[in-house]
Amino acid sequence: MNIHVVAVAVSVAIFLFVIELVRRRRLTFKYAVGWLMVSAGAIFFAVFYRLLFACAAFLGFELPSNFIFFALFCVFITLSLLLTVFLCQQNSRNDVMAQKIALLEFELKELKKKMNVE
Amino acid sequence: MKSLNPKILVIVPAFNECGNIGRTVAEIRRHAPQAGILVIDDGSADETAQEACQAGAMVVSLPFNLGIGAAVQTGFQYAQRRGYDVAVQIDGDGQHDAAFLDQVTAPVLRLEADMVVGSRFLVKTGGFRSTFGRRMGIGFFVYLINALTGVKVSDPTSGYRAYNQRMIALFSGYYPHDFPEPEAIVVAQQAGARIVELPVVMRAREAGSSSIRYFKTLYYMAKVTLAILLHMIRQKN
Repeated sequence: MNIHVVAVAVSVAIFLFVIELVRRRRLTFKYAVGWLMVSAGAIFFAVFYRLLFACAAFLGFELPSNFIFFALFCVFITLSLLLTVFLCQQNSRNDVMAQKIALLEFELKELKKKMNVE
Repeated sequence: MKSLNPKILVIVPAFNECGNIGRTVAEIRRHAPQAGILVIDDGSADETAQEACQAGAMVVSLPFNLGIGAAVQTGFQYAQRRGYDVAVQIDGDGQHDAAFLDQVTAPVLRLEADMVVGSRFLVKTGGFRSTFGRRMGIGFFVYLINALTGVKVSDPTSGYRAYNQRMIALFSGYYPHDFPEPEAIVVAQQAGARIVELPVVMRAREAGSSSIRYFKTLYYMAKVTLAILLHMIRQKN
């Protein structure tokens, strides 16, 4: 029975930690949503673990723990893919900004030169 | 000819090309005194920018290294902003002989081509033709590009190119990033560009080392192939 207490405690802790991060403005709502949903799901299944077992049995997992590992695996793969998409977006924005800055810097130098000449 | 005095911009991407870039710029000035020369210093750690500036080029310095594709694209963006009629791309490492500048730009000026690729393999004799391993790789791209787009180019990795305003506008908005030359041909073809190839003589590098190191040839091939294939399935907007 203790394992369920631990499971509930850990998932609640993660949930509260995410909320705290938002409160301290370390995490914006946009990125907190995913984590909140995942930890809310964890709390739900930690409390109603019989439902989790039923799901595992229905899907044909021999052990409920296998199901949990599999589900976690899927969650993290999805999450890291989403993070890669985000990273990629930031990367291309960075490139565009670097190009703009370089061109603007060039034009600025050009303008300064012109002004000094006149 | 489009106008009596077409504005030509020579774009020279350079990353740590101290020792080469000054000579390259001087050579371009000698062969094309009427053209603007824009060196894109791609976050070099050495004196590339100063050397290019002293040699008489305009220098745009990227704040950090973005890679050849983004560097060349910066040149296209500049050309578009300033309304250049023709852009020529020449490598900053001294491999490309500026004596061919007029020939490479001619088809664009005569409105016969949107994009001209200078090929070292169309030359009957002489010049630098790369190592055996790389020639094999190049041969593979020749085949791949032909199979995918129907375009026949003999030197798809050549960075000696000329573009008209239409291509400048296209590539200002989108230009492949990592090893862009073969993919750029596919991009241009899909945009309906008329691509012409002309013979140019290339030299071996004078100083420094190529950004594509010998043992990395295979990795380069796999990566570019994947990039081209991914480009084919990309959504067009």
